Amino acid sequence: MRTEDRDADARAIHKVAAGDQAAMAELYDRHGRLVYSLALRILDDQADAEDIVQEVFSQAWSQAGRHDVARGSVGAWLLMMTRSRAIDRLRSRRGQVDPVPFAEGAALQLADLSPSQEAMASTAEQVARVRDALSRLPLLQRLSVELAFYEGLSHSEIAERLEQPLGTVKTRIRLALMKLREALGEGKMA
Amino acid sequence: MNDPDDLHELTGLYALGALRGEEHARFEAHLEVCERCRAEVRSFSPVVESLSRAGAVVEPPLALRARVVPGGGNRAVVRDLRPSPTLAWLAAAASVVLTIGVGWYAAQLHARIDDLEARLAAANFRAGAAERQTADARQAADRAQDMLGVLSAPDMARVDLKGQGAAAAAAGRAFWSRSRGLVFTATNLPALPAGKVYQLWVVTPTAPVSAGLLHPDDQGRVTTVAQTDPAISPVAMAVTLEPEGGVPSPTGDKYLIGMVAP
Ligand SMILES: [Zn+2]
Repeated sequence: MRTEDRDADARAIHKVAAGDQAAMAELYDRHGRLVYSLALRILDDQADAEDIVQEVFSQAWSQAGRHDVARGSVGAWLLMMTRSRAIDRLRSRRGQVDPVPFAEGAALQLADLSPSQEAMASTAEQVARVRDALSRLPLLQRLSVELAFYEGLSHSEIAERLEQPLGTVKTRIRLALMKLREALGEGKMA
Repeated sequence: MNDPDDLHELTGLYALGALRGEEHARFEAHLEVCERCRAEVRSFSPVVESLSRAGAVVEPPLALRARVVPGGGNRAVVRDLRPSPTLAWLAAAASVVLTIGVGWYAAQLHARIDDLEARLAAANFRAGAAERQTADARQAADRAQDMLGVLSAPDMARVDLKGQGAAAAAAGRAFWSRSRGLVFTATNLPALPAGKVYQLWVVTPTAPVSAGLLHPDDQGRVTTVAQTDPAISPVAMAVTLEPEGGVPSPTGDKYLIGMVAP
């Protein structure tokens, strides 16, 4: 995401906190498409995805005052809420009721766990590199990451689904994220 | 699991939100005291964020905006309507092509892509080679999506297939979901004789139904994804050796067989 957009987001979120509806429209126009796309990707259902978009922006509307722009971009915050809500809905659809504890949420409680805003801002080129790196991962690594990220499966659920020992899943996921991180890093230097 | 070396390895699962219960609590306690893991979790955050953005971009329905923006129709609504439908479609098409290698599609996207492709073809936007590349990429993407769909289906059942006769060393495994279809993998299948092909069968109480042809690699490995009729109830799965092109019902030797647990 471009620096201007992030600055504009920071201004918009302050206005939203003060109840400015036009600023809300601005945020939707900048991020609605990505929020919808992620919800649709996870839920594979248009009506459910639309509900999630509505919930996420409604949460943003009521919690805008609590969002700390120094801790992360508005886009990252919206997408984190989207994934969390979409996966909760997916899991409740499957009869899995335990909520998924997201590291991003926990990060707020652990002093230095969340990266700087600078580190969080991925450009389109970096996203493309991560996407490309994901598609080149060994199938087991890629499926492990996708089952965790898009299907909200837990460590033991992934191990069971892929018929792998817990330790293998643990190692593969860490390796996969290291490779993706490397791909992202190449994008940053470019 | 008390070995601290094991704990250091949980960073990836934690960053993806895949730790639960006691394992989650134990790792968070570890994070409090382990700078190395804190740094690693922090370094994974941009990756996780990129994953959120890495999927195919789908344009939300216009009506959604009015549901989301409080007050619905204000000045911004008018300002932000896309000026030219054709240009917007082409821009959306470009983003679809860019993301096509990723490997996942929502059902809605299929219809959208078909529509886009018709429009693009009409506009003479594609050269022959580009078209083929896109079709191949889409096929690969669909396949990966179907595979993931079956593997994550709530009603997934596993069927193990044992090598028979000439293929005693071969083994196969099918993952079957009534709602989402079949993923089949096999290893150690003997090399195909000329003019022959392996054929996969879903055996129902009345008759075997073909689930496609198999062309193993030079090490006898093959993976395939097949749609199956949700109405059928398989009792077994089998692989036979058949004339090239396949047959409507099995005629050749059985190479792999597995019973579906009732
Ligand atoms: Zn550690």
